[in-house]
Amino acid sequence: MKKVNIWAWIIFALGMIYFFLPLVATLDFSLRAEKDVYPSFEAFRVVFGDPEFYSNFGSSLLWSLLTIVVSLLLIVPTTYWVHYRLPEWRPFVEFITLTPFVVPAVVLTFGLIRLYCCDPLPLISSPLLLVIGYVILSFPYMFRAVDTGLRAIDVRTLTEAAQSLGAGWWTILFQVIFPNLRVALLSGVFLTFAIVMGEFTFASLLNWPAFGPYMEYLGATRAYEPAALALISFALSWGSVGIIQYLGRGVTGGEQLAGAR
Amino acid sequence: MAFLELVNVSKAFDQVEAVQSFDLQVKRGELVSFLGPSGCGKTTTLRMIAGFELPTSGTIRINGDDVTHKPPQKRNAGMVFQAYALFPNMTVGDNIGFGLKVAKKPAAEIKKRVEEMLALIHLQGMGNRYPYQLSGGQQQRIALARALAFSPQVLLLDEPLSALDAKIRVQLRQEIRSIQQKLGITTIYVTHDQEEALSLSDRVVVMNNGRIEQAGTPFEIYNFPTTQFVAQFVGTLNTLSAQVRDGASGKLVVDRQEIQSAHSMGGAHSGESVSISIRPERISLLSEGQKANVMECTVENITFLGSIVRIQVRTGENAFYADTFNNPFLELPKLAEKTKITFSKEAVLVLRHSVVSGG
Repeated sequence: MKKVNIWAWIIFALGMIYFFLPLVATLDFSLRAEKDVYPSFEAFRVVFGDPEFYSNFGSSLLWSLLTIVVSLLLIVPTTYWVHYRLPEWRPFVEFITLTPFVVPAVVLTFGLIRLYCCDPLPLISSPLLLVIGYVILSFPYMFRAVDTGLRAIDVRTLTEAAQSLGAGWWTILFQVIFPNLRVALLSGVFLTFAIVMGEFTFASLLNWPAFGPYMEYLGATRAYEPAALALISFALSWGSVGIIQYLGRGVTGGEQLAGAR
Repeated sequence: MAFLELVNVSKAFDQVEAVQSFDLQVKRGELVSFLGPSGCGKTTTLRMIAGFELPTSGTIRINGDDVTHKPPQKRNAGMVFQAYALFPNMTVGDNIGFGLKVAKKPAAEIKKRVEEMLALIHLQGMGNRYPYQLSGGQQQRIALARALAFSPQVLLLDEPLSALDAKIRVQLRQEIRSIQQKLGITTIYVTHDQEEALSLSDRVVVMNNGRIEQAGTPFEIYNFPTTQFVAQFVGTLNTLSAQVRDGASGKLVVDRQEIQSAHSMGGAHSGESVSISIRPERISLLSEGQKANVMECTVENITFLGSIVRIQVRTGENAFYADTFNNPFLELPKLAEKTKITFSKEAVLVLRHSVVSGG
């Protein structure tokens, strides 16, 4: 009979407690909005009944969609080209994509404000500046996701094989390369989505409506509703991860990453 | 007229000359192998024909058309890669039909052609499978079918069997040759495996340091190497040091034993030190019948290679191999035993500088 390693289970249980205890405590707190009523969903009712919630959530949804589009257009062809033609540039590109980890969001935002406040590119009053900031913020996640996907396939040989069969760049990218990056692209998209939905600094300092500042505002003015919002935000992130897992199901081994099912 | 022509083609990467002054004419329907060690420029030459590399100088023509600056998409050259390069997201059928789909052929025509190709490579009924569901040998056959499906003018194969195990390799190379002859397609085959090149090709181009060392039929390359590199690279070659005793009559001395060569000494005079070469299969044990040259030697090692038994002998300074066909009744000498070997005068080639005299 297989021996059960008790220590493995103890460590696993400790890990679970570490992750879930704060969530359980938050849930417990959010259910105490009404005196002498437990569980009370009053905090959730208030949140979902607030028109500001929908307007801010909708704005963040729009920002995240725009960010995903711009990020895909920028990162995917760049990473593909780096893999196909300029592999020696990869460390440099990787370094650039690490910018959001090195430069704090506050510094980055003020940098953007100073640069784009006036001529020749006065973008300060345009939401484009916010999307540019979010695209920079998504760099490490989108680049890594696409890079990992491209590493799992022989980009150069597949491209050359398609070329020898008469395919042009459009066919190569949309029929050969991208279908094989399905899981990688979805990972990048949902990670970007989750990050933008919860982002606070850029939206707050550039003064655009978004879900992040709304959560912060609610946290400063209400007691139980922020806990409810935090759980909603968690559900959103988990939902994104769940979709990635669902769409990437059955993926086995590097070579079959793209494999059709 | 040559169907595929490379005229004075060179390719340099930074300061490194990968291919230098490469001239070759390939007839329609001919299979020509590029054979050489790693880094000799054979794959670079193939990639220039395919259009993946632009020559630094020179001209490439296919069927009289100058394709030197044409992109790969416009060359109508099918290519088979070492790593198969099947599209993982497509079924076998979609892979084979890809070139036709790109050319916007009608769906019915594509389907018919895919079935023909599957029959050609003996994989009928596998059109709906995905590449990861196939073995390496099957994947490479699909890659071959894909490269042939759109009826290319030229077929280019870049070490297509290197990733396969020995038995499949032999089987598949025969299949490739048979399909190539059946379709009569002009083919360039890159390999570093001499057995593969010699068994498959109409002609073999032996390359070294970006240059053609020798181009000829497999028979010519093996039996009449024109440079020392070819002589040593193709097949196993014994190289012995000898002194010329009488250049005019072809007499030489190897470890104080006189032997004779039927070939010219290239003007070497008496007493001069030269290198001579003898193929192992041209040396036999004296017990198997005497030839013009007989030498006494000591047996150092015996290696069983299946159909051949390789006996390593020493005559003094020189150690070399003698190959004999395996047979169950063969009486092999013992290790460290004194024995006698024999070979013909024609088997002795005199090597001077990098050029072989005679053959």
